[in-house]
Amino acid sequence: MADILRVEGLSFRYPDSPKSAVSDFELSIPEGEIVVLAGPSGCGKSTLLRAVNGLIPHMYGGEYSGDVLVAGSSVKSSNMRDLAQTVGFLFQNPENQIFMFSVERDVAFGLENLGVPREEMRARVDEALRLLRIGDLAQRAPHELSDGQKQRVALAGVLAMRPKLVILDEPTSLLDPKTASELVALVAKLRGELGTTFVVVEHRLDLLVEVADRLVVMDGGRKVLEGTPMDVLFDNEAEAHGVAIPAVAKVQRLLAEREAGKAAAAKLLTPSALALAVEGRLT
Amino acid sequence: MMWLSGGFIFRRGDSFYHRLDPRAKLLNSVLMFTTTLLARSIFEMVLVILFMVGLSAAATVLKRVARTMAFTALFSGFIFVVNVLFTRDLETSVLYAIRFIAIVVSTSIFFITTSPDELEQVMKMFRLPRDVVFAFVTAVRFIPVMMLDTIQIMDAQKSRGLELEKGNLIRRVRNMIPILIPLVVNSVMRSGELAEAMEARAYGAVPRPTSLLVYRATRADVGVVCAAVALFAIAAYSFYFVVPVRFP
Ligand SMILES: Nc1ncnc2c1ncn2[C@@H]1O[C@H](COP(=O)(O)OP(=O)(O)O)[C@@H](O)[C@H]1O
Ligand SMILES: [Mg+2]
Repeated sequence: MADILRVEGLSFRYPDSPKSAVSDFELSIPEGEIVVLAGPSGCGKSTLLRAVNGLIPHMYGGEYSGDVLVAGSSVKSSNMRDLAQTVGFLFQNPENQIFMFSVERDVAFGLENLGVPREEMRARVDEALRLLRIGDLAQRAPHELSDGQKQRVALAGVLAMRPKLVILDEPTSLLDPKTASELVALVAKLRGELGTTFVVVEHRLDLLVEVADRLVVMDGGRKVLEGTPMDVLFDNEAEAHGVAIPAVAKVQRLLAEREAGKAAAAKLLTPSALALAVEGRLT
Repeated sequence: MMWLSGGFIFRRGDSFYHRLDPRAKLLNSVLMFTTTLLARSIFEMVLVILFMVGLSAAATVLKRVARTMAFTALFSGFIFVVNVLFTRDLETSVLYAIRFIAIVVSTSIFFITTSPDELEQVMKMFRLPRDVVFAFVTAVRFIPVMMLDTIQIMDAQKSRGLELEKGNLIRRVRNMIPILIPLVVNSVMRSGELAEAMEARAYGAVPRPTSLLVYRATRADVGVVCAAVALFAIAAYSFYFVVPVRFP
């Protein structure tokens, strides 16, 4: 399948900043994948995402080299209007991306801005509300929503624009564990139903390895590891780059190392499966 | 402040009046407002006030309106006393005092029954620039957020030993600085994030954005506006053509 996103040797330095926030970055993502981007804070993840949806270079000045191609066209030479329709961006704090006084108006915000006719807008808003199962919140004001609900509303507003690529910047950082895993399940469901490509910046890898096709680790503005989630989690270097390896993966890896000759598992085991495996080793 | 929030801040309601077209609500309030200015007799003034009280009752906001009236009556009393002293005309003084109450109530009814969404629609109707309307919308949207921020910052600073209620006036004002600085920093960061999110959702992509909401005048709209026009006509007629209508 064609690549929805290609990052080609991208480097970017913010004005007045001594060093590049992103350096010589290469990345290709085929349509329909879920890719997780991990790395210590300040390593340039958000900067990379800004370069994907065009905020860099259209809103931020700075030193830019290399190229980013979304659905085949260069971000540099596209305008924000077209980019907004191809790339959806869910920012870290849902509070600061809800503008309107009622949920349904906010979900419609992007479509209003694009001048979508009312009947079509109504249909797309209702569809987004239904996809995220927040139809019952349609008339609520933002301050009457929980953080998890705000996150869904913000995501509905993004999806109503029908982007091919959706970027989520630390979407679970404000959510409790249950709501966080619901969000991850939702991402998997949307990919299945709509074929949307997702790039997710996330620290809680245990939540995402299940659904992700690929894990990319960044450090100091550079890409340091890339592969299937299990390959990366089993890589010796991963922990050194600040990746929080889920405990289950650590144990799984130890087991695999002791059973010499056995290839590393392709999947993260469930706790009960892991318990069985450990039991098997003991007896 | 209490007076302001009680008398002028929208709270969600589900009455026939709340559901009126915002344009009808605006027109109705403007008509009531001008009628009170034209009314030259206590009789006419009482008519307008009865009309407004009736509407408030139908809009299930009578309690709030009554409280606003009671509060405004304090100022009215003052207006009355000053007028009596200067004009020595009891009826005119009473008229002015009631007029003041009526003016406040006519505007109050509009604001407490019109949601920010509807206010936005009204602003658009007046062809205000998109940016101005949007600035208003976000300002209203973030009032509760900023209030929560303030409370959290105050709690945080108090738990670090800041004593807000101590000392003389200068000291108290200085004590506000540890509250204001984080609040300003917060808001600046927030507006940066808002700007990014606006770009990502195609703000300003087309010169004439569409709107999800649609308002169509219904029979209720026409009915309310007709009643207001009738009152207005009576007041205007008597203002221009006849001696003020007095109590029969
Ligand atoms: N708007 C900005 N202006 C200047 N420097 C910035 C800006 N945003 C981020 N940076 C810097 O760029 C680097 C990468 O930041 P960021 O992309 O936000 O990292 P991450 O999202 O991985 O935490 C950091 O050193 C940060 O201080
Ligand atoms: Mg970040």
